[in-house]
Amino acid sequence: MSDTQAGGLYKLRCAYVKQGRLAYLGHLEVLHTIERIVRRAQLPFAVTQGFSPHMRVAFTSALPVGTSSDEELFDLVLTSYVPPAEALARLKAAAPCDLAPTNVCYVDMRTPALTAAITRAVYRVVMTMRDGLTCEDTVVADALDRVVAMGSIPYLRGKKSKVLDLSATLVEVSIVECTAGRIVLDLDTRIGNDGSLRPEIFVVAFDRVLAGALGCDEVREGPIVSTGIQDLSSIKRYAVCRTAQYVEDADGSLLSPLRAGETPSAPISVSSVPSL
Amino acid sequence: MRVPYENRFGDLEPLLPRVEKPSRYIDHEWGTLSSPEAAYRACLIYPDVYEVGLPNQGIAILYATLNAQEGISCERGYVPWVDMADLMREAGVPLLSLEGAAPVASFDVVGIHIPHEMAATNVLETLDLAGIPLHSRDRDDGDPLIIAGGPSVYNPEPLAPFIDAFLIGEGEEHIVEVCRAHERLRDGGATRAEILRELARIPGTYVPSLYTESYEGPCTEHGYAVPADGEDVPATIYKRVVADFAATDPVPQSVVPFAQLVHDRLSIEVLRGCARGCRFCQAGMTYRPVRERTPDQIVSAVVRGLEKTGYDEVSLTSLSTTDHSCCREMLNRLNTRLADTGTRVSIPSQRLDSFGVDMAASVAGEKKGGLTFAPEAGSQRLRDVINKNVTEEDLERATRAGFEAGWRRVKLYFMMGLPGETDDDIVAIAQLADRTYEIAREVVPPAQRGGVSVSVSCSVFIPKASTPFQWCAQLDDAEVKRRQQLLIHSVRNRAVRVHYHDADTSLIEAVLSRGGRDVAAIVEGAWRRGARFDAWTEQFSLERWEQAAEEASMDLRAVAHAPYAVDARLPWEHVSTGASRGFFEREYRRALNAQTTPDCTRTSCTGCGICPTLGVDNVLVGDRS
Repeated sequence: MSDTQAGGLYKLRCAYVKQGRLAYLGHLEVLHTIERIVRRAQLPFAVTQGFSPHMRVAFTSALPVGTSSDEELFDLVLTSYVPPAEALARLKAAAPCDLAPTNVCYVDMRTPALTAAITRAVYRVVMTMRDGLTCEDTVVADALDRVVAMGSIPYLRGKKSKVLDLSATLVEVSIVECTAGRIVLDLDTRIGNDGSLRPEIFVVAFDRVLAGALGCDEVREGPIVSTGIQDLSSIKRYAVCRTAQYVEDADGSLLSPLRAGETPSAPISVSSVPSL
Repeated sequence: MRVPYENRFGDLEPLLPRVEKPSRYIDHEWGTLSSPEAAYRACLIYPDVYEVGLPNQGIAILYATLNAQEGISCERGYVPWVDMADLMREAGVPLLSLEGAAPVASFDVVGIHIPHEMAATNVLETLDLAGIPLHSRDRDDGDPLIIAGGPSVYNPEPLAPFIDAFLIGEGEEHIVEVCRAHERLRDGGATRAEILRELARIPGTYVPSLYTESYEGPCTEHGYAVPADGEDVPATIYKRVVADFAATDPVPQSVVPFAQLVHDRLSIEVLRGCARGCRFCQAGMTYRPVRERTPDQIVSAVVRGLEKTGYDEVSLTSLSTTDHSCCREMLNRLNTRLADTGTRVSIPSQRLDSFGVDMAASVAGEKKGGLTFAPEAGSQRLRDVINKNVTEEDLERATRAGFEAGWRRVKLYFMMGLPGETDDDIVAIAQLADRTYEIAREVVPPAQRGGVSVSVSCSVFIPKASTPFQWCAQLDDAEVKRRQQLLIHSVRNRAVRVHYHDADTSLIEAVLSRGGRDVAAIVEGAWRRGARFDAWTEQFSLERWEQAAEEASMDLRAVAHAPYAVDARLPWEHVSTGASRGFFEREYRRALNAQTTPDCTRTSCTGCGICPTLGVDNVLVGDRS
């Protein structure tokens, strides 16, 4: 594992899940675990030269504790070529199943970092209403419209006042399911340096509007605080899963980051997700 | 009726989003070894939070050992942090094991590690959360067998009423014998009392309920334990020792945590035991004899362990790693093997001479954190009293070598309240610190002097069982505070920072180190008043302990601050490391005369008695320098 100066470096992009109990891992815990998976897989990973040598690996944006994901990614620089199928098999054998790698491909070394390239993320929010509460999908749709119409949601992060700018970060919210006591939403969001949509803030705002509409005895008031699990009025429990992340093409079509480095003769465009 | 063994994670999960660091409770780590089906189940518990307990090497060894046994499955447990413990009590969820998320009360045996005295209230917290009666005498056939072991059972009396059996000494062979015997007796339908009597026949096993307190003859006010009337149990329980240490697996560690720990790395125990003979040091007496692994075994263990776990750091652990007779060879070989892998090698403590610094430099690479030295006492006279065989010149050479090699931060550890300590000895600590700073100024180029830091950390001496200082009293609080002020005012150089240990915590540590079975009532009273996680400064409250002592009509300060007569039988003398009373008395007398005793791995036998008593020997793989 030497001679990294002379080129001969390969960038392996790997997709993996974060699910089950491991959804409770924090971002740093995930990063450390991935590094250990790579070491156990004994892939020829490159190491930075310098004061404090470390593995050359880069990740997608942080997922909050408790949020699961169908597809997270990391880019790993290798010093020699390992066939993708073999690399995947070795990573899988070294990973706990709730953090299992699902797919790998090689991307060009000059491919932009995942955090820079990925501009869209879809979250699925599954909510279970408090015992005895049910509501029609028209009520949910109306509550969602009212939240979206707010344009922005002020909240507190620690002692800092922040604003979730819905008009800039929310592409679309759709109702996937609304049956007795269960509401499932898809949030199609923008993600990037200028701000990202924090699903739990959206959920709190939605809960307050919905609780008001349903005439719940107790509607939570005061500033929304971004911390841990939210204490909600109309909703007993909720779970958030990042279901997809996309790179946007020049013409606005959405590409999977797994293929983004290839010359896209036939890009996988996901046109079912409407873009603004 | 035994609580059923079943997965109760569903009861715990709704609590996870409401606690800090949920990863403490989720299990599913890499490398767990337990099996879902087993004829006999053990749960090993470290009495503190997950990230403190997980790196523990003792538990890692016993976990691997038990799981390697046919038909035995061993799981782990930790104490939920206060937020989770409160939620669990509120929701009626008992303490669960990690792997199977099964009630701890459903296991056949529950083994609690006793890492230090301050864990006492967490032992009770563990039992209570598990729904197991606190007192051994209140348990029936449905309750698990509660065993305890670890570094801090050489005075087991303060925990005696709560533990069914203590395993004294090294557990890797012992725990298997205990579990197998228990399994056999259980299958044969033996009663709890019959099981305990049988276990007491296994060497190294102390079953406190079969012993009673005696106050006959010269003894302390706490009495001492003797076999109860009609019980055929040994009067002295000798610790267990693994004679052939090299035959044990050098890579017992298998579980790789998600959470980030303080010691988040592979640990390879390169040698066991230390014969330097520091007279205050309990570990130095209790882990004898000295047994080294060969460099071949160490290097292959490191490589195999890193591959198996994926860690990027390996620590070569022992009580004094740089004393290993092949230290240089093993570090050189490891550096070659691990080049360009971004793997760090660390050695936990530095020997106080230029060799120690040389070894530290050989693994430090470009990134040099701090160097830590433990002269323990400021003056040569007092260092001779405690048998810290280090001279002023050794110290100077070591710090000079450290600064020359590029280190800028040096931390010096001392103790206060050592036997025979005078104000001159305290002033000498300050002088040593000032001298260290002067050396830094001489050696470090002017442009880099801003980064130089010298700090002094001064704890309070706690007399420990089975050491030559076991008769000594702890210095009283007022005098500790006066000497701390004297130290601070004696340091001339303002760049030297002085930290000292909290006198309140030290008081309780001394009470638990020196007391007898009578102190158990104080432990229980303190826990009933909310004491738990006493090792965490922000959780500790002296008030609870004071109230508990008052209720038990005892005085904490009297327990800690009264010296014992040398001819008095001590509360813990029924538990033996194998070292003779004569050796401790001789060492104590030599200490009072400031006479040193050499290290038996470098000279000849110094007569502690452990080797002949236990039928073992020092095992060195080369000549020690």
